Amino acid sequence: MNLPRYPEYNVLDKRDTPSWDDVTRAVIGERLATPREPRFFDAVQWNAVRALCACIVPQRKGSHLDREPVPVPALLDAKLAKGSGDGYRDARLPPMRDAWRIGLAALDAESRARHELPFARIDDDAQKTLLIDMQQGELRHGAWQGMSSELFFKERVLHDICGAYYSHPHAWSEIGFGGPANPRGYVRMYFDRRDPWEAAQAEPGKEEQAREENRRVR
Amino acid sequence: MNKTTTVGIAVACGLAALIGTSKRADRRAPAQTHVDTARTFNHSSALLALSVLSDSAMEHYRGSFDNPAMYTPIVVSALSLLAGLHGGRDHEPQRHPCRNSVYVGAALAGLAGTGFHVYNITKRPGQWSWHNLFYAAPIGAPMALLLSGALGAVAERLRDEPQHEPRLFGMPAGRALALLTSAGLVGTLGEVALLHFRGAFQNPAMYAPIVIPPVAAALLVNTAIAAPRSRWFTRLWLRMTAALGVVGVGFHARGIARNHGGWRNWSQNLFNGPPLPAPPSFSALALAGLAAQRLRETER
Repeated sequence: MNLPRYPEYNVLDKRDTPSWDDVTRAVIGERLATPREPRFFDAVQWNAVRALCACIVPQRKGSHLDREPVPVPALLDAKLAKGSGDGYRDARLPPMRDAWRIGLAALDAESRARHELPFARIDDDAQKTLLIDMQQGELRHGAWQGMSSELFFKERVLHDICGAYYSHPHAWSEIGFGGPANPRGYVRMYFDRRDPWEAAQAEPGKEEQAREENRRVR
Repeated sequence: MNKTTTVGIAVACGLAALIGTSKRADRRAPAQTHVDTARTFNHSSALLALSVLSDSAMEHYRGSFDNPAMYTPIVVSALSLLAGLHGGRDHEPQRHPCRNSVYVGAALAGLAGTGFHVYNITKRPGQWSWHNLFYAAPIGAPMALLLSGALGAVAERLRDEPQHEPRLFGMPAGRALALLTSAGLVGTLGEVALLHFRGAFQNPAMYAPIVIPPVAAALLVNTAIAAPRSRWFTRLWLRMTAALGVVGVGFHARGIARNHGGWRNWSQNLFNGPPLPAPPSFSALALAGLAAQRLRETER
């Protein structure tokens, strides 16, 4: 297992620094307080969507994950419950909420047809095989209601689940992202330069130096 | 708001100039000696060095001291500042060898710095493009260090001259100093014009430093080449130029406050906003110009 590239960097340390203002704090605070119980998905959909999220963004507890996992299903549910959409949509797919209802029902239907169990109950390899078939557009059960499984995978599953994961501050800390540049942006706009309030990347052999700098990021 | 502050700067410049000229009339009695002039040039050099010291320290810190040579202007301008303060209190009618070498060193460092900044611009993609002139190492900035060194070095040479009819570069000292100061004003003007153009002259007051100093520079050339006499009009424009340095810092401070996050976000806005230490360069040159004018009045 590789060591973290931004050791000890936590974007939330910037909360009470000049990097963030009240608006930023409010937006991030709301995101961190996303309810863990679903408001949009029903119990059956919730099981399916949790299994699906675990396949797309695996977050097993391990040596590299010493923090709370990002609540991806809850963030996705919050997006669908709010229903404001992305502001654009591939016209070949139904609206966001309908696409998710149809897609999750179809995924369970495909799983039952192959293994007589819903998607959340089949084993990892079977889930993976099913998702590969979905990605290649080879799932054509009637439950899809004519929706392309390939498009659903590409434009809803990947887009919404990865988007939810990377909307969370834990994911920002992991990739060394500074969060919203509001109000403080960046002043060292040149290759390989770093502002003191940016994450320090660990160079091989200099992990301790990066750790020290990341403790000071404010 | 904008209009009020613009009117404010105009009034402030005018008042400063008027107060300055009337004060001059009061203490006309003691004639300007060449050592007095040299001391004023030491002080002007020190003010320029202060400007360079704070500006280069900030900007080279921002540049992460990528090249070890980036420490040079900080050390050299600090020395030049000390030499200027020392020279300003020194009434000896002869050059101080230590100060003199600091000044020559500063001038050479300014020239070398210009070379480094030109290299920085040309090594970037796009080379001589507006973008690189705006955002790479500022091509005109090391010139301020060159000017600080030049004003100081000239002051030291002036002290070696006889009290009667001191000469520099084969001409009456007052004429030489007026020409040198005028050239310095024009150089500084180029840098300000470039950067205020980059700032899109978003505040009409940004025209002030490209309108007033050239008039003062032209009047100084007139002082140098025309017959010596008292020139209140030249003094007026030089004093307005000197006031620009003070009022400019005020405007730049306001510019920083207007950036997103204001002064609370100083760690970004001090670097992103208008440079706080830049405007006093004009004050330094205008004070040198006034001293040159006073010396010129004693010549024949």
